[in-house]
Amino acid sequence: MAKPKIAVFKFSSCAGCQLSILNLEEHLLDILGAVELSYFVMAKRENFAGPYDISLVEGAVTTPRELEELKQIREGCKVLVALGSCACFGGVPSIKNYIGTQREVEERVYTHLWDIQSIAAYGIDHYVKVDAYLKGCAIDLGELVEFLQSALLGVKPRFRTHSVCGECKLKENVCLLVSGKKACMGSVTSAGCGALCPSLNRACEGCRGPADDCNAESLAQVFHEELGLTKDDVVRKFRKYAGNTPQFKKGASFYERA
Amino acid sequence: MSERKIYVGYVAREEGDGALDMVISAEGKIKEARFKIWESPRFFESFLVGRKCDEVPELVQRICGICPHPHHLSAVQAVEQAMGIQVSEQTKLLRHLLLLGDWIMSHALHVFFLAAPDYLGYESVVGMAGNPELLPIVQKALQFKRLGNDMSVVLTGHEIQNRTSVVGGFTAVPDGAALRKLRQRLEGIKDFALETTRLAKTLTSDAVYADLVRKCEHVALKSETEYAVTNGRLVSTEGLDIAEWEYPQWLIERHVPGCNAKHAIIQGRDSFLVGPLARVNLNFGQLSADAQAIAQEIGFQVPDYNPYMSIVARGIELVHSVDESIKTIDLLGEPKYEDPQYTIKAGEGYAITEAPRGICCHGGRIDRDGVVQKWDIVAPTARNVYNIEKDLNEFVPKLMHLSDEELTLRCEMLIRSYDPCLSCSVHSLKVNIHREG
Repeated sequence: MAKPKIAVFKFSSCAGCQLSILNLEEHLLDILGAVELSYFVMAKRENFAGPYDISLVEGAVTTPRELEELKQIREGCKVLVALGSCACFGGVPSIKNYIGTQREVEERVYTHLWDIQSIAAYGIDHYVKVDAYLKGCAIDLGELVEFLQSALLGVKPRFRTHSVCGECKLKENVCLLVSGKKACMGSVTSAGCGALCPSLNRACEGCRGPADDCNAESLAQVFHEELGLTKDDVVRKFRKYAGNTPQFKKGASFYERA
Repeated sequence: MSERKIYVGYVAREEGDGALDMVISAEGKIKEARFKIWESPRFFESFLVGRKCDEVPELVQRICGICPHPHHLSAVQAVEQAMGIQVSEQTKLLRHLLLLGDWIMSHALHVFFLAAPDYLGYESVVGMAGNPELLPIVQKALQFKRLGNDMSVVLTGHEIQNRTSVVGGFTAVPDGAALRKLRQRLEGIKDFALETTRLAKTLTSDAVYADLVRKCEHVALKSETEYAVTNGRLVSTEGLDIAEWEYPQWLIERHVPGCNAKHAIIQGRDSFLVGPLARVNLNFGQLSADAQAIAQEIGFQVPDYNPYMSIVARGIELVHSVDESIKTIDLLGEPKYEDPQYTIKAGEGYAITEAPRGICCHGGRIDRDGVVQKWDIVAPTARNVYNIEKDLNEFVPKLMHLSDEELTLRCEMLIRSYDPCLSCSVHSLKVNIHREG
């Protein structure tokens, strides 16, 4: 059987998620033995045209050019993977969607606006069908390996969809929200990171986007009424990594309405 | 022949999207050499306005996956400066170590994954790994890069996006045992760091590179006490000597049509170079003893104005980073948890750190509620783009005898020698060469 052909593409993002592939140092040579890395501009000078078996796309779509490229990528592959929170939900670049018109956003940074072609930032499934999501800012290396193994075996990868709280409890961490009175978003955020931040005494910032059983409105209330965050603070919390998702939109708009 | 056109795809093995357009006249002169950068702008400076000051370091580390820590630490220090926050010696040491780990990861990535394939005639490190003679070097290089990554994991919980460093300090500190394990591995890799420097020298010793010298202003941080990493005064080979917070007045940016990155000049002067070559040139005497010794062994003399020698400078800095990390770990001993507490105040602050590829500047104004009013970010590659164009204008006429394919490769190599982190600012490249006449 021929090795599956893999392509890696980058839209608006920091390149950290595709760097994560190179950060699999100890598995890298094994992976390169099992798949054919056909297109990976960050790592290779010779890159080959599709079609590909698996296309990994990093970054949010924020320009018409990226949107056109995304459509071609979708047509040119069997399995399309959103690599990281920017590709999954719009990520950090999506913050700009909620701070005024695109023109206002541009005027703060650039003087010659005719040159700038930027549209609202969305995850790739806003435009095309996506087959798998590797969440997180940046992606979790364990999940990346799990995905590649599953793809090679032709089985569905096992990703967690419950909240970070589940993983945090398994680690027997003291609850940052209840005991530490810190604005931790673990209860609404999708697991898979091993509760990385709370385990390091850092409140979860929701970088993996909403969990399946997300109750963002209730957490927004807790943040404001019990922890004393200002309403603006609460809105900022839900509009950071996944402000585009319907679930986190509920958290952000809970106090914006008022 | 009326016109000679060369079209090359992306300049690979960098991060981000961009292109280089060159028009060469019949007389062999460059009529135009310009970067066209189409990496989509992400408007960090715009959306940071209205965010809380403690979110700035968390968000700006997401500007670049290759050098997240310099962005993060510049922003942390700028916020601390704005609000008058003093941090402990331990925090300063942890930050120092964090950036050294970033240098190790990024320099190892650059030397072996991004640059070496060019010099050895491979399209990528994948090809190098296929050669049984080179495979052990590739494996060792992977270990080296992993060590840099593990320094980040031990200090911050993650290879790329740090989870512990915040305004005021760290939410959690590594235990001494974990640091001592890193120390052992650093000692174990030292010989390979020296070998890397020798290899870098061998790769660049071809006569074709010796000629490619262009004297330009080199800019780097300088500290009184150490080879500057996290802070210092900003100095240059042409006599610039200013405090960190003065950079907005001296390092000027211009918006260039057709290009999402801005062009950088020094007030009243011209383009300049930042990065490992500038640092080694300006701070040679503060490198570790072994880093200075290896430089002498391979015959590297400062100042060196050949940009292709940046790969050698990276080798020298790898040796220094290993030595300096060991020293820093010894100074840290058994780190103790310190609560990163601070009071929010209105203020303005600017700070600079040395990213692997050069100075990374952050700063702005915060109101009394801790909300950002203005934030300025200049990534190192943004400083270098204009200088790269000037290099091309000078060097390409010397390389006209080369075939289109060779010429394109040399141009790509020049650009890669700056290790442009294109996500930061200007982004991968496509080289278009048009020869007229």
